[in-house]
Amino acid sequence: MASETREVGESRPPHEPGTPDFGGLAIAIGLAAMAALIWWDASSYPVRRSYAQFGPEIFPFLVAAGLAVFAVATVFLAVRRRFPPREEMTYPPVIWVAGAVLAEIAILTFGLGFILASGTLFGFAARGMGRKPLWLTVIVGILFSAVLYILFRLGLGLSLPTGPVERTLVGLFR
Amino acid sequence: MDTFSLLLDGLAVAAQPMNLLFALIGVVLGTAVGVMPGIGPALTVALLLPVSLSFGATGSMIMFAGIYYGGMYGGAISSILLNTPGETASIMTAVEGNRMARDGRGGKALAASAIGSFFGGTVATFGLALVAPFMVMVALSFGPAEYFALMVLSFMTVSAAFGGSVARGLTALFLGLAIGLVGIDKLTGQARLAFGVPELRDNISIAVIAVGLFAIGETLYIASQKFDVNEKVEAVKGSVWLTWQDLKRCIKPYLRGTILGFGFGPLPTGGAEIPTFLSYSAERKLAKGVAREEFDNGKGAIEGVAGPESANNASAAGTLIPLLTLGLPTSATAAIMLAGFQQYGLQPGPLLFTNNPDLVWGLVASLFIANFMLLILNLPFVGIWVKLLMIPRPWLYAGILTFATLGIVGAEGSVFSLILLLIFGLIGFVMRRFGYPLAPVLVGAILGPLAEEQLRRGLMINRGDWTFLFNSPIALTIYAIAIAAVLGPVIWRALAPKGANTAFAMDGD
Repeated sequence: MASETREVGESRPPHEPGTPDFGGLAIAIGLAAMAALIWWDASSYPVRRSYAQFGPEIFPFLVAAGLAVFAVATVFLAVRRRFPPREEMTYPPVIWVAGAVLAEIAILTFGLGFILASGTLFGFAARGMGRKPLWLTVIVGILFSAVLYILFRLGLGLSLPTGPVERTLVGLFR
Repeated sequence: MDTFSLLLDGLAVAAQPMNLLFALIGVVLGTAVGVMPGIGPALTVALLLPVSLSFGATGSMIMFAGIYYGGMYGGAISSILLNTPGETASIMTAVEGNRMARDGRGGKALAASAIGSFFGGTVATFGLALVAPFMVMVALSFGPAEYFALMVLSFMTVSAAFGGSVARGLTALFLGLAIGLVGIDKLTGQARLAFGVPELRDNISIAVIAVGLFAIGETLYIASQKFDVNEKVEAVKGSVWLTWQDLKRCIKPYLRGTILGFGFGPLPTGGAEIPTFLSYSAERKLAKGVAREEFDNGKGAIEGVAGPESANNASAAGTLIPLLTLGLPTSATAAIMLAGFQQYGLQPGPLLFTNNPDLVWGLVASLFIANFMLLILNLPFVGIWVKLLMIPRPWLYAGILTFATLGIVGAEGSVFSLILLLIFGLIGFVMRRFGYPLAPVLVGAILGPLAEEQLRRGLMINRGDWTFLFNSPIALTIYAIAIAAVLGPVIWRALAPKGANTAFAMDGD
């Protein structure tokens, strides 16, 4: 999609309609959906009488109206291809990095503690940015996270999720 | 009390060992992130926001201001040696600075920039101390109508000045306003956009938004790009000490740069881009003799480094004026610092000066100390900072991501906040890819609820009559400035030469 973008953008002046920028159209749909959601939510508030004559719904209505206006503006931007040219996207690193956060969320949900969760995050992210093999980056991550845990939990008193690894580690310091 | 004695009191606060330590941590971190392209002071302050809760208000604000100033110093190093500006504020420094480095005068360029940063930062901090009390006096007379007008001004200018297009800037702003709606309405207790999720009922924390958009979004964006392996780090060549002859060439650019930076800093034009650009073009135009030849033959003129570098530090000080006196952030870093104040239940504005003089004047005084620290860190120790450019990217970004989630998990204590963090990261990524500025989202989310409060308070006093918004001459003046601020960049872009426009496509730190 990105290479197409450049060809059209270069060979024609920006006013002339070409293929619309589908990414931009998706953003416009997202904005419109958000406006509708806010409008729907604000319409459901119970009516109150006050000196202000306007309750908690007035600002959401204003915001929803603004979002709707810019959803339309975004359609124009997309059709006229007014978005800056995008570099071709390399998917695998992006998926690794987003997956890193998901992995941390999953490990924390299972109650395995900060060090394993954060270490896995570090490992996945480093792997995504091109460092291999995965087992090495995860081990580096776990060691790094253990140091951070000691520093922030025992040093600064920040409360971090505790699992089996953390309990053993804290036991060593007692 | 007059400013001078207040400043002396502030110096006593800033000189406390713990606060000196916070200033040192701030300037070291600031320089470090300033050196590294891609991560800047805005991201760093956002990362530290959750962790800093245990540092106390004065300590963390001193640290944040140190990061802001340090980022301006550090940005010059990668501009000069790598020709990749560490920050948007250092884009103009890269032009002449890198030419000087290739010509074997990198040391001189670094020295001119460090001294210029010191000069600009120190003079402008004096300016801040002198101007702030007057601003406070003006601000004390403001009612809901004026405050609402000020926030509209802030919304308009932040959206128009950052990023390449006014439409995208305003879209980002409304996204921020929408995020600011989530949670329980302060005046009536009505839950808005919570959809029965208990975590959403008590507002989305600014730290989650800022860290998600800047740290996660930026990492995803960097990951999506192909890595350019052809970056070449120039070795530091030549003495880092300036001769009297060099210094004489720098004095006038320093003065002009400082005036431009301090003048534009408080205006909501979005940080340091405009004053540094104006300073560079002024030096280029005014150059005579040797300087003229160096500008024209691409050898690199010291004036082209001196001017912009004093301008960007002066603008950092200027930015603090509206932030402290009115609670209006005019750059991304300032917006996150505002969130830092709010985290301690403090609302910057005229009342902050009367209620927390220790904090305000301690912060101002610590800026002088921070500038001294930075001068020392940047002249003799410049070689150490250059080594930072050698950290392999996988480790660097994995580390940033780890810190980001550590702060959020530690402060929010829930897995749900991590899910929100990832969502904001993905939003930030899409926005970066499509050229949307990130700062208006933050400003909208932070100032939106405050603007709503002023609007509804005004409506309540005036029994639902909207015209109160336009009855005050001060408010009308502010609206006029807001309109000018939206149209200004449009005219500016039309007039500026082609190369300058790229500076506006990036995010303002």
